[in-house]
Amino acid sequence: MTQDWNTIDTDVLVVGGGVAGSMAAIPALEAGLKVVICEKGKVLDHCGSIGCGVDHYLTVMDTGPEWDTPAFLIKHVPELTDYIVDMAVAGRVIEEMPRIFRKIESFGVDFRDPKLGTYYRLRSFGLPGTYHINFDGTDFKKHIGERVRKGKASVLMRTMVVQLLVRDNRAYGALAFNFRTGEWYAIRARAVVLAAGDVNRLSLNASGLAFDSWHFPYNTGDAQAMGYHAGATLANMESVETTLTPKGFSVQGLNALVSLGAYFVNKSGERFMFRYDPKGENARRAVLADAVIHEYLLGNGPIYLDCRHLLPEMLDHMAHTLQVDRYTLPAFYAQKGVNFREELIEISIAELSIRRSGVYFRGSGLAVDTNGETSIEALFAAGDCATVSGGIAGAAVLGHIAGEGVVQRVRASNGALPEIDPQMVAAARAESAAHLERAAGIGWKQFEHATQQTVTDYVGVRRTDKGLRLALDTLRALAKKEPLIKADDLHGLMRVHESTNIRLNAEIMATASLARTETRTGSAHWRLDYPQPDEKNWRKFVLVERGQDGPATRTLSTDRPLADAFARNAVTA
Amino acid sequence: MPDAAQAVHNPIQINPETCVRCDLCDWICPGDLIYKDESKKDELPVIAYPDECWYCGLCQSICPTDAITVVFPEQMVHNQTDVVTLLGKVVE
Repeated sequence: MTQDWNTIDTDVLVVGGGVAGSMAAIPALEAGLKVVICEKGKVLDHCGSIGCGVDHYLTVMDTGPEWDTPAFLIKHVPELTDYIVDMAVAGRVIEEMPRIFRKIESFGVDFRDPKLGTYYRLRSFGLPGTYHINFDGTDFKKHIGERVRKGKASVLMRTMVVQLLVRDNRAYGALAFNFRTGEWYAIRARAVVLAAGDVNRLSLNASGLAFDSWHFPYNTGDAQAMGYHAGATLANMESVETTLTPKGFSVQGLNALVSLGAYFVNKSGERFMFRYDPKGENARRAVLADAVIHEYLLGNGPIYLDCRHLLPEMLDHMAHTLQVDRYTLPAFYAQKGVNFREELIEISIAELSIRRSGVYFRGSGLAVDTNGETSIEALFAAGDCATVSGGIAGAAVLGHIAGEGVVQRVRASNGALPEIDPQMVAAARAESAAHLERAAGIGWKQFEHATQQTVTDYVGVRRTDKGLRLALDTLRALAKKEPLIKADDLHGLMRVHESTNIRLNAEIMATASLARTETRTGSAHWRLDYPQPDEKNWRKFVLVERGQDGPATRTLSTDRPLADAFARNAVTA
Repeated sequence: MPDAAQAVHNPIQINPETCVRCDLCDWICPGDLIYKDESKKDELPVIAYPDECWYCGLCQSICPTDAITVVFPEQMVHNQTDVVTLLGKVVE
């Protein structure tokens, strides 16, 4: 058989060049390991979640006061996460925050406010201290990307990883293709880090444009889907996340607004947030979104953002930071002809996504241990695809932890890696080729729209047993149509893989949602048929794994770390 | 080209007078939407997949001659969607 793919041997394969992936690569490079990064975009200089800079960074700094210590924040995490959190991993992430923050500063990132000459720290999203540094992080990721380049990592751009290589519950690489050139790669590695982000393009939004999403629409749950297929354990997948955005443009930037003092008002002009949380606009993101959802359902919409009461210098600061997270937001306001300084801005909830359900430190995705390693040996995960997620800082810290875990794992491993099975590569290639060669069939946009409509109607905000079962029937029927999806070109083939990954994530989410017979964190998991939190029976994680007939669930008490559910730990125990 | 494809809003408008035909917009686009063939020096970058744009404006921000303008479609700028339709169907 002719071998028409490239085989690459490396120590570490990183899937995704965002903050988590880059921060994982850095300790591996520092330890002298060979690192290959596969990246669908070219985001080494930008954040993988939003493609731009960063306007806030959550960290404990250990500067003296009790609130600024890891122990203080750790103490509050169970309450902040409604008690569904892996405290072993969240605790390690918070403990490591000061060290990783200083390390990022050493890369040249300046977190200080130029006017103050020191850090401008704000309280937001319900956190028990002023942990968010508000700063101009336009170049934040450039400095991190520069470190990766200096370490001489090989970066394969416009390259999508489509299948993990796993034998005997140990990862040894992945298959990938470049969607500009059509080249295929079989990459053998002693450890693999999945850092491909969250799940977007999952439901409908106000504009009706699938790619108008709050976070990157090009993050499509690839890591979660590949991990699932390979047998990895996922958790918290029932929790859905949304945010508040200017109506018509699913854009980020809510943190900057609320931490600087903006209000939300309903159609009667009532500032309603205090009806939902004593912290008002400083409540957790999940609470803010939940409040707006309820206001709309009560008939109190439209809901507006109100900045008119703010002092001119605060409005100036706001105007300055608006474009850090999303460069085009000022242009959107300009084209719309509104001035946020003087006028109300109508807002909507964004489309739904799977990330961390508006709650810091409770990620939805691949379950990891305190080294960032999944239930599959030598397979690590970090950032928004892992079960402890905390925005940019969470990605940076868990990414770095995973990178250090990778170094340990690679040093402990010996012996040759398994040979690449030519038949397996040929099968993966043939499956992709079939999408390209298909003259007639379903377009990926049509396929994806069916997933989005199903999630919006039955899996999203208002869940019931009947609705979720209806959704599962539809999503499983859609799965049968996957071989019929046609790709017009290599770019389209990449989108076909994304669309099927989105569908699988939707099925996993619906399955986990059906299992959790209670409501938790408001509309992050709102069961109309079980409308109250059930503290007696549901202080548990819902775990999802590949079963005989699709996703299968089991539960684990939140008193235990998720790693206790890993078979590889049972073997070594 | 089919009519439906022609009807797709083009979010990335390039001024042919000021575009210097470099490939920075192609290079930076996170969604793989913009294609510029380096061998064809006279040709403008092509917005190959306009309906997959995220409106991030990275192409506009990197353009050395400010030849790119990101233009939002009507359904984003003056959105008329009833938000309640995004909040699910009640099936009991």
